[in-house]
Amino acid sequence: MTTRRRKKDGDDTANGALPSVWTRAFKASSEWPDKDEFLDVIYWYRQVIALIAGCIWGLIPLKGFIGLALFVALNAGIMYLYFSSFQEVDEEEYGGAWEITKEGFMSSFALFLVTWILFYSAMHFP
Amino acid sequence: MLADTLLIVFISICTALLAEGITWLLVYRTEKYQKLKSEVEKQSKKLEKRKEAIGEAIDKTQKRKLEKQEEKLKNNNRDLSLVKMKSMFAIGFCFTALMSMFNSIFDGRVVAKLPFLPFSLLQGLSHRNLMGEDYTDCSFIFLYILCTMSIRQNIQKMLGFAPSRAANKQAGGFLGPPPQPPK
Repeated sequence: MTTRRRKKDGDDTANGALPSVWTRAFKASSEWPDKDEFLDVIYWYRQVIALIAGCIWGLIPLKGFIGLALFVALNAGIMYLYFSSFQEVDEEEYGGAWEITKEGFMSSFALFLVTWILFYSAMHFP
Repeated sequence: MLADTLLIVFISICTALLAEGITWLLVYRTEKYQKLKSEVEKQSKKLEKRKEAIGEAIDKTQKRKLEKQEEKLKNNNRDLSLVKMKSMFAIGFCFTALMSMFNSIFDGRVVAKLPFLPFSLLQGLSHRNLMGEDYTDCSFIFLYILCTMSIRQNIQKMLGFAPSRAANKQAGGFLGPPPQPPK
């Protein structure tokens, strides 16, 4: 499991005096010597945003194109703020902001659609 | 309706696990795959670093070396896809049978309500085998595809079977820029 893998990664890096991935993911301006680790964090953050947004959009309910557009904007916006302002990573190291922005986007979009449809159908068409 | 929706989510989790299981049995656990995978990963990372280090200033011998390395990586990538092919056939065969079974079970049933109107191109999929003109009705196949898109990749990632980014980048993944030829 990734959790296990992440913990293992954390243990590996613990020798190099770096805190675990979990701690670094929630701490501002952390160091990311392994690019893949940071991209994994971005990926999983995206999935969590998709799940939460899907639940909220379904419960309100938000409908139509506005719901889709709002999710795309929210997803890209939050992650952009996260990597540029919170973690302050150098985008160029990862091949530009676009590379980070598209990391895990499709699967999070699909996950968002599934949760949105699920909650919308369950709440409003029982 | 809710029971159907949940059932489809459950089905797609099961089929994603089944697909990964088959791939593990036929591919992931084999020594050849593991060797090739680590090789490709190592080479991709090395190539990426080298390209970064060399940058613009490049002479002919370095260029040739880089090309040779790229060629080797390409060959390894091709071998890797050939190894994966076996499981892809098995999965394709399995899923064709499963899909026809699920299609007949959910035939003509509205499994969920869409909170948006799909583009006209997608309506053929989202309204497949459904009666009526309400295009917010969702068919089995549309929900199943969406579930698979999200769940399969997440399961692959959780189990650590997802292809490495470095290798993907060198191979020119979907939406990604094509690999830069050495200048």
